[in-house]
Amino acid sequence: MSPHRIIIDTDPGVDDAIAILLALASPEIELLGISVVAGNVPLEATVSNACKIISLSGCVDVPIYAGAPGPLVREQVYGKYAHIGAFSDTLVPPASVRPQEEHAVDFLVRMTRQAAADNDPIVICAIGPMTNLALALVQHPDVARGIRQVVSMGGAFTALGHRTPWAEYNIYADPHAAQIVYASGVPVVVMPLDMTFQALITEKNIAAIGENAGAAGAAIAGLLRTFDRSDMQRFGRPGGPVHDATTIAWLLEPEIFEGRAASVGAQVSGKTAGYTYADFYGKTGLPMNATVMNGVDEARFLEMLEERLSIYGRGR
Amino acid sequence: MTATPIIIDCDPGIDDAIAILTAFVSPELEILGITPVCGNQPLERTVRNALQICELGHRADVPIFAGCFRPLFRDPIYGQFHGESGLGNTVLPGPAKKIEEKSAVDFLIESCEAAAKSGRKITLCTLGPLTNVAVALRMKPAIAEGIERIVMMGGAFREAGNRTITSEFNILADPHAAHIVFSTDIPIVALSLDATHQVILTPEHAEKFSGSAGRLAKPLSEMMAFWDRNDVRRYGSRGGPLHDPLVIAYVLAPQLFETQTARVFVEHESELCMGQTIADWYGKSGKNPNVEIVTKVDAKGVYDLFLDRLSRYALEEVR
Repeated sequence: MSPHRIIIDTDPGVDDAIAILLALASPEIELLGISVVAGNVPLEATVSNACKIISLSGCVDVPIYAGAPGPLVREQVYGKYAHIGAFSDTLVPPASVRPQEEHAVDFLVRMTRQAAADNDPIVICAIGPMTNLALALVQHPDVARGIRQVVSMGGAFTALGHRTPWAEYNIYADPHAAQIVYASGVPVVVMPLDMTFQALITEKNIAAIGENAGAAGAAIAGLLRTFDRSDMQRFGRPGGPVHDATTIAWLLEPEIFEGRAASVGAQVSGKTAGYTYADFYGKTGLPMNATVMNGVDEARFLEMLEERLSIYGRGR
Repeated sequence: MTATPIIIDCDPGIDDAIAILTAFVSPELEILGITPVCGNQPLERTVRNALQICELGHRADVPIFAGCFRPLFRDPIYGQFHGESGLGNTVLPGPAKKIEEKSAVDFLIESCEAAAKSGRKITLCTLGPLTNVAVALRMKPAIAEGIERIVMMGGAFREAGNRTITSEFNILADPHAAHIVFSTDIPIVALSLDATHQVILTPEHAEKFSGSAGRLAKPLSEMMAFWDRNDVRRYGSRGGPLHDPLVIAYVLAPQLFETQTARVFVEHESELCMGQTIADWYGKSGKNPNVEIVTKVDAKGVYDLFLDRLSRYALEEVR
């Protein structure tokens, strides 16, 4: 089977780092590049973090592109854990790579148009606010044609009250961009909080990754331990979600996820801006533009992380 | 005298065509490029029309960069007064001229970055929806430093809308892009309907202009005749407003225009008032005024200017 050709559009971020490292640990995936956007932290920090993650992986040929420094229309908001900022050199060693000159949006336009011309569309794993992708989609119709699907970490349908009472952060941070992507005609696989809250990484998993996954594992463990991602009140048990990594896990083992078709959209204005809605029953008559994941085999997902990431401990 | 470097961002369009043809024969302007966008017509058409207009004006040397094929957020709407081709019933040959490889957005970014470095800042003349400019600004906000100002056809302040009750076409076609542009601190001159409805291209003017325009007499006369709204109740006479050409007229002869400064906001949430431009005339918002809104036009001066410029097409030395 030919590998999944993907671009990760990201705002690293701790779980972004795990997603990127998971992708690079997987021979089934060809990572064409990393397009970086402002989100969890300002663009300068997300770009710096992306460079550090790629350096850490040893896959220094994967190009990194700096993208949009802020959302399309709304004012900028940063992530819940923005205080982590740029990864410190103690947590993640200094980068040995630098971002490319080309803008992330130009990179997305170039790659997708080429993919459309070659009739070999690529997958975009969108794990931050979708500003870059939206800015690419309006520039040429072939951008949408060159994307097989967008695997998007974002949204919340019943698991509300994470970033705001009504919205998940990636959508909240740029609801217009999310809606542009949802309405673009590209099939979207939605990884909402409803599903990511079901797979909680615990200290046991973190310790195993820290021990077996070399320098990458040590950095991941360090990052995961920097702040407490658990929420006993919410989850009723220890552990924290690894939202972004589910996008890559789905490409690798879709059978461990459950989902259903829906028409998905984002509320872009008013009090509930950033709210995502899903029409599972065709009430709106709108096209079923998305598959919304609502279940994941937690044990298998965590096992996959431990297994796959251990490649970094085997002299990669 | 050194020429003012300009980029014409447009969606031709009959009035865009008149604006561009005027700019071609104005040595005060150095046209760095033309960036058509989806607007009066779908992108494919506005690009083709721009290429044809360059050839018509014997200015195939001006590079054309294709812009965004759709508005940022909303579904596209198209103009209602430009006929099927966008240039009325006028049939132009070709075009043999080709568009550049580079996209309009990249051209805008690169030109403005270079201008910021050299200090020779660019005047953006925007005649259509602001999608290209907004996308460029969101990709690289620092390009604002390379923009001298934006002279824009768009908006309606004291005048009512022309496409909806409240809204002028260019803003309505991409209100989110307009919001992005008006939210910057780039100096903006707005030629809104408040201004353009003061300068109606009557059949008499059309005849005079095209009659003096030498080899352009036929296409100009056709386009200008097509432009006649035939709505005396609204415009006070036969003819149609000289919307886009006023942008070029302003850059050439600002002394013909009176302005009032205000912060401008764009409605992009309410369906009823979508695309409405709202001027804070009296500082109620607490935000710095960033737009010079043209309130009064010396129509006679402007007519004379266009007559002078378009008649240059009758001269031998015009290429």
